[in-house]
Amino acid sequence: MSHPGVEDDEADLTRKQRREQAREQRKALEEEATASAKRKARLTQLGIVVAVVVAAVVVILIATGGGGTKKVAPHSAEANQTTAAVNTLIGGIPQSGNTLGNPNAPITLQYFGDLECPICKEFTLGALPPIIQKWVKTGKVKIEYRSMETATHEPEVFNSQQVAALAAGTQGKMWNFLETFYHEQGEEGSGYVTESYLQGLAQQVPGLNLTQWTNDRNNPVLTSQIATDKQAANNAGFTGTPSFLIGKTGGTPSKLEYSSLTDPASFNEAIEKLLKG
Amino acid sequence: MSARALRTTLIVLAALGVALAGYLTYLHYSGTTPPCSIKGNPCSQVQKSRYSELAGVPVALIGLLGYIVILGSLLAPEDERARFATMALTLGGLGFSAYLTYREVFTLHKICEWCVGSAVLMTIMMCLSVWRFLRGDLDARARALAQADGGPEPTAPPLGAAPS
Repeated sequence: MSHPGVEDDEADLTRKQRREQAREQRKALEEEATASAKRKARLTQLGIVVAVVVAAVVVILIATGGGGTKKVAPHSAEANQTTAAVNTLIGGIPQSGNTLGNPNAPITLQYFGDLECPICKEFTLGALPPIIQKWVKTGKVKIEYRSMETATHEPEVFNSQQVAALAAGTQGKMWNFLETFYHEQGEEGSGYVTESYLQGLAQQVPGLNLTQWTNDRNNPVLTSQIATDKQAANNAGFTGTPSFLIGKTGGTPSKLEYSSLTDPASFNEAIEKLLKG
Repeated sequence: MSARALRTTLIVLAALGVALAGYLTYLHYSGTTPPCSIKGNPCSQVQKSRYSELAGVPVALIGLLGYIVILGSLLAPEDERARFATMALTLGGLGFSAYLTYREVFTLHKICEWCVGSAVLMTIMMCLSVWRFLRGDLDARARALAQADGGPEPTAPPLGAAPS
């Protein structure tokens, strides 16, 4: 026989335990809800940061540009501006084939480049003009432009654009052609160098006989010049463009290590040394 | 991995980043050619290109400042705000690394191993800091649970302890 008082106590305890359990469950649910809200808030914050970073990268990419896949129309304002800049730089300097400068200059600088190489463009528009101004115009240095395939990915395009430049060289205008090419260079790998692009460039070279230029582009001697240049670059151990060989005209040239694409100091130093030696 | 081990790992990586970016900044200003194991030294061509500067500021210097600020956010007392700062900064760093890698691969067609090293470092740091931010203060939660169960409060492992 049980005592009624004890039954009441047991019932009370069970009620208390149930209340306790319910409170703990409620607490757990609240904690879970709080943790879930925190997780959601963190994911939202992460999403916002990712969006801001992506937008910033896109802005930087647009702001720093890439040259675009433009084609400058002959006789347009931009074309005329390029022609004027090229004329100011090399107008009046003797040219023969791939060479710019006095044929009897005591120093020869060989410039190995790829017309589609953006780093070559940086050099051509950066350190090269002061070198031409100081050394080529004064007849102390002549520069030979030699081809080396780096940035142009299709060998047939590389040959075609290089032969186009060399064909302008048979009329003593290769440097006008390649300076114009570098000035108007498009974005690498965008496939902008087409037949009409090369024709457009040729039309921007003042005084170039286009019929003769078109015929000369079929001259196998010009193609063999590309192979000779490739061999010379291999012999020198060059793996990138622009690369340079410098030496006394007729002598054995040596590699020129440059420290900047825009500052001609390394070139000036090497030339001065050779002139003194 | 405990919160402390995670933070320590991030501090070590950020310090490595400071050293790497600091060296590249020194090379930029001294005009020294960076050593490079790749034939033809593409690192030199990348670091002399116009993309080695952004608005006139060397990207190596921007990287150095970035790593220093990240390190600062890790050395600050750890709370929700500090974890958010580290996460946001490393995501920004990863975005900047992505931009530089794009320029190397698609514009210059040169790969610089120093830049790749920094990009890998920043990617690891970003992954760890995002994980750290999303999971919140796990150690504090573990302590609270232990207290609720009436057990002893778990102690943090010593600095540099093996990740759990």
